[in-house]
Amino acid sequence: MTTGPTREMAKVLTAGLFGLTSVLVSCGSGGARRPGDLRGVELPVALDKVDFVLQDTEGKGFDFRSETEGYLTLLFFGYTNCPDVCPVHMAGIASVLRNMESSVASRVKVVMVTVDPDRDTPRRLREWLDNFDTSFIGLRGDLSHVREIMNALNMAPPAVDSSQGTNYLVGHPSQVIVYTTDNRAHLVYPHGTRQRDWAHDIPMLVDATWDS
Amino acid sequence: MNWWCSAQNQRWDWTWTPYLGVWLIAGLLIIAYVSGRVWGKRRGLYCSGRQLASYVGGVAVFWIAADWPLAAIGASYLLSVHTLQYVLFVFAVPPLMIWGMPPWMLRRLLASKPLASLARMFSRPLVALVTFNGILLVSHVPRVVDGLTVTQAGSFAVNMAWVFSGFVFWWQILAPLPEWKPMHYGGRLLFLLANLLVTTIPASFLIFSEYPIYSLYELAPPFGGLSTIQDQRIAAMIMKILGGLIIVGIGAVLFFRWNRKDGVEGDLVDSAGGKPVRT
Repeated sequence: MTTGPTREMAKVLTAGLFGLTSVLVSCGSGGARRPGDLRGVELPVALDKVDFVLQDTEGKGFDFRSETEGYLTLLFFGYTNCPDVCPVHMAGIASVLRNMESSVASRVKVVMVTVDPDRDTPRRLREWLDNFDTSFIGLRGDLSHVREIMNALNMAPPAVDSSQGTNYLVGHPSQVIVYTTDNRAHLVYPHGTRQRDWAHDIPMLVDATWDS
Repeated sequence: MNWWCSAQNQRWDWTWTPYLGVWLIAGLLIIAYVSGRVWGKRRGLYCSGRQLASYVGGVAVFWIAADWPLAAIGASYLLSVHTLQYVLFVFAVPPLMIWGMPPWMLRRLLASKPLASLARMFSRPLVALVTFNGILLVSHVPRVVDGLTVTQAGSFAVNMAWVFSGFVFWWQILAPLPEWKPMHYGGRLLFLLANLLVTTIPASFLIFSEYPIYSLYELAPPFGGLSTIQDQRIAAMIMKILGGLIIVGIGAVLFFRWNRKDGVEGDLVDSAGGKPVRT
């Protein structure tokens, strides 16, 4: 049986230990450049960079090929009312670039071409992209022109679900095409690509050299 | 109608979606309690109004945590809500239900031998510690969250495991049956301390991870204007701060009870010896 002072001591020690732990606990706390090491999906045949001019969110013409020359370029076709794929891709890429060294991030351009030019006005497109990163480039043009570009990239054209009135959805390819500095796309990144995959690949891709 | 809420890879909408399993379990829990009260009343055993309120409150919290919209948001969109569900299932539902049941009702509930022996096994402090923390850690492993939350059966299993771990945890603290030889107050405080340490592990991963841990929430349609990392850090704070505050709060209550109990015992001893020192 414990005596009074021993009990008191035990209580004091237990209380002290408990308090101390609570405080501590609450306060506590290059690689290869071969395509095989990368986490994107390798294309069987690399795609040449497409040559097109669309309107940017300032209303100026944007020559895709010349404006992205020398940059790692992430090209995506989407729209601002997209409920899932587009915001997830944009948020993921933006988050990764924010965490990346500026020497790498400054060599990356992210370009989104809208597949819904009727609703995606330049202003709307700019506001939406600014939610993710103000450096992201938004482009728009006639849907027929956008279809031609997508066709040149062997991508399925956008499909509008008009059964829902003005609140319609647009079916579109979900992959991001990545052009390296050789002006060719060797890889695509489908929906489901995680931020840690982008963080793993982008630093490699900015310096990537590919066997022709 | 679905049995239980699981992850849905689609845009959120505010269409009311009840889950059959949740309503069925909540209903059965209430029916069982009412039956128990009637059984006791016939034998001169009663539940107080406070106990009734506590039990019904526990079932209500269970229903809120498991049903739409909380469960739907927690399963598909926000890790912070998923973690809030964990806190409710573990730290709110079990104590309210245990408080709500008078000892005679618990004895009646544990009258069957197999159930009683199982309950006795999990009431051992070391078994309780390992069970509670094992379920906590395993149910937060990315493969488990990403793999199980997408199916109704998996989601149900995880939620039930949380509730079970909560009962195992709170049985040690509340010690509702004196004849089961509960731990001394000092032991209970050490038990809390050990649990406080273990909850730090998943919380630390959530706070300090540079990238989202769970693909389920990273690739989910956006919800509530939160980025995945913001959501993850809020989840960590809910687990660490809210969970931690509850544990520290219980520790303080136990400590003062311990102190009061010793004071009363000390007075009795001193009175018996004819030397009262406390007045």
